[in-house]
Amino acid sequence: MEVLIKLSTNYEVQLINLCKSYEENSVLDNINLNILENKITVISGPSGCGKTTLLNIISGIEKEDSGQVILKDNNISYIFQEDRLIPHLTVYENIAFVLKSTINKDEMNKVITKYLEMVKLIEFKDKLPSKLSGGMKRRVAIARAFAYKSRLLLMDEPFKGLDDKLKTEIIEEFLKLYEKEKRTVVLVTHDKEEAKLLGNVIYSLHMR
Amino acid sequence: MKNSITKELRRVTRKIIILMFWMLVWELCSLFINNSLLLPSPVEVAKVLFFLTGKIYFWKSVFNSVTTVILGLFLSIGIGILIGVAAGLISFIEELLEPLMVVIKATPVMSIIILALVWFKSSNVVIFTAILICFPIIYTNVLQGIKAVDKQLIQMANIYKVKNKYIIKDIYLPSIKHYIVSGILMCLGLGWKVSVASEILSTPRYSIGLNLLNAKSTLETAELFAWTIVVVLLSFIFELMFKYYVKKRDSI
Repeated sequence: MEVLIKLSTNYEVQLINLCKSYEENSVLDNINLNILENKITVISGPSGCGKTTLLNIISGIEKEDSGQVILKDNNISYIFQEDRLIPHLTVYENIAFVLKSTINKDEMNKVITKYLEMVKLIEFKDKLPSKLSGGMKRRVAIARAFAYKSRLLLMDEPFKGLDDKLKTEIIEEFLKLYEKEKRTVVLVTHDKEEAKLLGNVIYSLHMR
Repeated sequence: MKNSITKELRRVTRKIIILMFWMLVWELCSLFINNSLLLPSPVEVAKVLFFLTGKIYFWKSVFNSVTTVILGLFLSIGIGILIGVAAGLISFIEELLEPLMVVIKATPVMSIIILALVWFKSSNVVIFTAILICFPIIYTNVLQGIKAVDKQLIQMANIYKVKNKYIIKDIYLPSIKHYIVSGILMCLGLGWKVSVASEILSTPRYSIGLNLLNAKSTLETAELFAWTIVVVLLSFIFELMFKYYVKKRDSI
């Protein structure tokens, strides 16, 4: 694995000797990785090299076969490849869905309004996802991820499938939010330009 | 506006013409058979029905049967949804219930009614039978609905540590709504058939089933037809009311 900058000791996530196989195929083989606090760490590599698996193990969706995942905090936001918006809930309700287990109604209203204004979707708060464009849905997913109080933000090819113009817009929205509220970001992408643009640290995974 | 009224009028007129066509077929068949014991004419049946509606025992019987059917359906729906959700979320419960569901679905309705006659008093036989026949339909539909829920949404909810009660309320229940509605529509017609069949065997006082049995015993075929039409109409009204309720809820 290639490491492009010198690591400090302020880690948000540590992966120690991580291994994961599917049937007889080894996807991750003794991965050792330290994710810096409040930096954007990019994990890049070709399709099928285990990038999404790595994110899924960090988030707890999948369990590693062996090794350790050490997190400073268990609260994680995740921006998936797909929008994963609940189709029968409005934009407002979709963000409220992830907040209502942790904060009260008044606080929740303030938080949702703040982030919808940041991504310029406040006028669409009562719309269903089916009434939104692809780019708008992606912005809702980003607003949801930032609205949720977490130290760690995982992003699995979040700009995939967007045309260049839209991609640039969404990346700008994301960077504006990130500048205002820095948190640790782990971004998975196979796009080298994206990696160079966004990453403070870039790891490159290779197929075995 | 004018177009939609005309369209609606045409639709209703078409339905009335179709109904009159089948009335005519019935009349022609009864004329052909020429034996009111076997097949009374629509006019004879209408006369009997009109006569019955003037009797208190008619309304008492209708009220009792409607109450029993509603109770049986509500209990079936309630139990079906609860157990269906539990089985959908916990695979052990689904496995545990599978043999029971297979047996219930395969057992003839008459066997269930006769067994119930041994176990319960006559007024409870009908409710028990309705529940046993209708609850597996709701259960199976809810189970399918739970399994069809988008797993990616559940993953998202788990990552964001959303409480289970919100996952059930905001993801599972709305997703299974259509499955529940289709299950209920199936049960509405079946619930009436099964309930009336139970009433015929268990003969609770003031019930449609008992009146059907009496009509058969006295060879009053026109009355038999009249009571059957009452059951069909009630089942149709139930279905209409339910569809209207669902439409109203969806439009809110």
